[in-house]
Amino acid sequence: MPLTLKDIARMAGVAESTVSRAINNKPGVGEETRKKIMEIVRQYNYQPNQLARGLAIKETRMLALIVADLSPADYQIIKSIEAYANEQGYNCLICNTDNNLQKEEAYLQLLSSRRVDGAVIIGGDLANINIINTALNKNGLMVLVNCLAEELLIPTVLVDNAQGGYLAASHLLQQGLKKIAIVMGSSKEFLESEKLAGYLQALAEYGLEVEERYILETDGSREGGYEGFIRLLEQGDLPEAFFVTRDILAVGLIDAIKMGGYLIPEDFSIVGYGESIISSVINPPLTVVAEPLEELGRYAAKYIIEVINGRNPEEMIKVLEPVLKIGESSVSRTE
Amino acid sequence: MAKVTLTNVTKRFGDVVAVNNANLEIKDKEFLILVGPSGCGKTTTLRMVAGLEEITEGTIEIGDTVVNDVPPKDRDIAMVFQNYALYPHMDVYNNMAFGLKLRKFPKEEIDRRVNEAAEILGIKNLLDRKPKQLSGGQRQRVALGRAIVREPKVFLMDEPLSNLDAKLRVQMRTELSKLHDRLQTTMIYVTHDQVEAMTMGDRIVVMRDGLIQQVDSPLNLYNNPVNMFVAGFIGSPAMNFLDAKLVKEGETYYLEGNGDFKIAIPADKVATNPEIKSYVGKDVVFGIRPEDLEDAAVVEKPVTDDNSYMATVEVVEPMGSEIYLYLTANEHSMIARVDSHSTAKVGDNVKLYVNTSNLHVFDAETELAIL
Repeated sequence: MPLTLKDIARMAGVAESTVSRAINNKPGVGEETRKKIMEIVRQYNYQPNQLARGLAIKETRMLALIVADLSPADYQIIKSIEAYANEQGYNCLICNTDNNLQKEEAYLQLLSSRRVDGAVIIGGDLANINIINTALNKNGLMVLVNCLAEELLIPTVLVDNAQGGYLAASHLLQQGLKKIAIVMGSSKEFLESEKLAGYLQALAEYGLEVEERYILETDGSREGGYEGFIRLLEQGDLPEAFFVTRDILAVGLIDAIKMGGYLIPEDFSIVGYGESIISSVINPPLTVVAEPLEELGRYAAKYIIEVINGRNPEEMIKVLEPVLKIGESSVSRTE
Repeated sequence: MAKVTLTNVTKRFGDVVAVNNANLEIKDKEFLILVGPSGCGKTTTLRMVAGLEEITEGTIEIGDTVVNDVPPKDRDIAMVFQNYALYPHMDVYNNMAFGLKLRKFPKEEIDRRVNEAAEILGIKNLLDRKPKQLSGGQRQRVALGRAIVREPKVFLMDEPLSNLDAKLRVQMRTELSKLHDRLQTTMIYVTHDQVEAMTMGDRIVVMRDGLIQQVDSPLNLYNNPVNMFVAGFIGSPAMNFLDAKLVKEGETYYLEGNGDFKIAIPADKVATNPEIKSYVGKDVVFGIRPEDLEDAAVVEKPVTDDNSYMATVEVVEPMGSEIYLYLTANEHSMIARVDSHSTAKVGDNVKLYVNTSNLHVFDAETELAIL
């Protein structure tokens, strides 16, 4: 027979409601009592009966993780959300919409019809009207991750990509490098424009003029990275360093550098963006701006559970800063 | 052209009729206010225009296009709500521009729009500031700027000022009215606050229980309410309603209370509303706004038995430029906004002068205005 709340209450010598409050991390339980109860929970590996619990309090203890277009980075975020959610007694339903509005609407219906307690919307850049509409409704409890909303304040967790661009360029500048090119996707893309803004800010802080020829907009592909380097080579004015805003662009760029017989970091220092499988197989190990994906997921899960429990998160918009992870591709040539 | 037309629009949620057969023509460049108590259907109406709610019956046109089946993103509207997101890591420029950037507008176009909106809103000097460096009013303007840069045909605003403190709310009301003058765009604005409605809109739609009660200019709504609901909802303090019977003595028609008043209806009012004659001997409701009741002791108009009655002062609230008297007469309670020279004290039996040219009479059963 599995252990029940009643059993734990008897063993701890407290009321059933006290056990329930302790397990659900609700106030009104003394520290000593809580410790005693949690010790019994651990000792007997107590698992609350989620179904009974759901029926009793009209909760499903289920979260929908609605992803616009599942990427390797999203995978990390989802893992982190799930880990935190599980700790708090929630399960997760992963819903990939492939940027398809009908699919998204169907998944949001899970929320409106209370088949999940809350939803985390991951990616998609801009909250569309489906999301806004759902958020306006009473049951529309949601948190946005890496997604902006024009009309409404919805609890949000974001990464400051401009700060990422700034970190990358600053790192190169700190090593005495002055001729730094940025190889990026289209500046019309919001994320790319943010990274460019950070790069430009770092140059400005070092009193350096912006060299238009060192801003290489590409189609964001491996070929784009390759051709970017060739373009600079033909111009005959090569930079000392590159900040590459996407992992796949870095692959192409580094292919071209190596094909030209140049060495990294001896001839060119390189900083990439994003800690991914792709950037992890580049040789020499790439210095990258790493997004705090685990932290991002943890905040998202914490926020949605707070929202479900009727509490506003401490900061409605949480902006996390990326960190620089130094590999071997950006070591100063003077060292 | 961005007129908005609602024809026989109904919205049902299951058995609940949220909006019942609404007919409304919002003119191009008009500032229209939807006002009413919570649950009256004003927000649902706005959301149907936005395309956020499907219409159960009827049609909505924006310009000359029926938009029933047009997705919200293609309706050329911008919405402003009370809770808006200002991103702390972005400067004001980017907080206004990110939507356009994400929609891949050309940089020059974004620049033009953001600068124009900032100019209109008087925040051009703040474009490189972060939200935490802004005052509450400046933040609100940034949120408006985000809607303006979309250059929509119609702005839809759902209680955008209700999160602001009282002082800022008053200031932003004026600013929004000025903004409408400058933008010359159709604006539909939802509020539950009748003061906001009265001070901002060209026309006001008063709603109750899903039904449009009256669509009129603020002044007409105030002076000529079509029913007791509108009369009571618009104006603060609210209009006094006193049960009465319509009686005729000689050629004069009177509103007679249960022994506490007998007020003569001016002959010219009867002449312009002859249908009132059919109410003789029937129960009616006498409506009078607090400012049309005066302390007869300080009024400079001729006071007669036909335009005054006695009442007992229960509470005196000096407001500075005027005094609110809370009074009772027989079973009736009422408020009078009297001149600050009044010396009426609690417990006093005072004579109240009635400005009969502004009195209202309602059908006691249908609650519709007779006069």
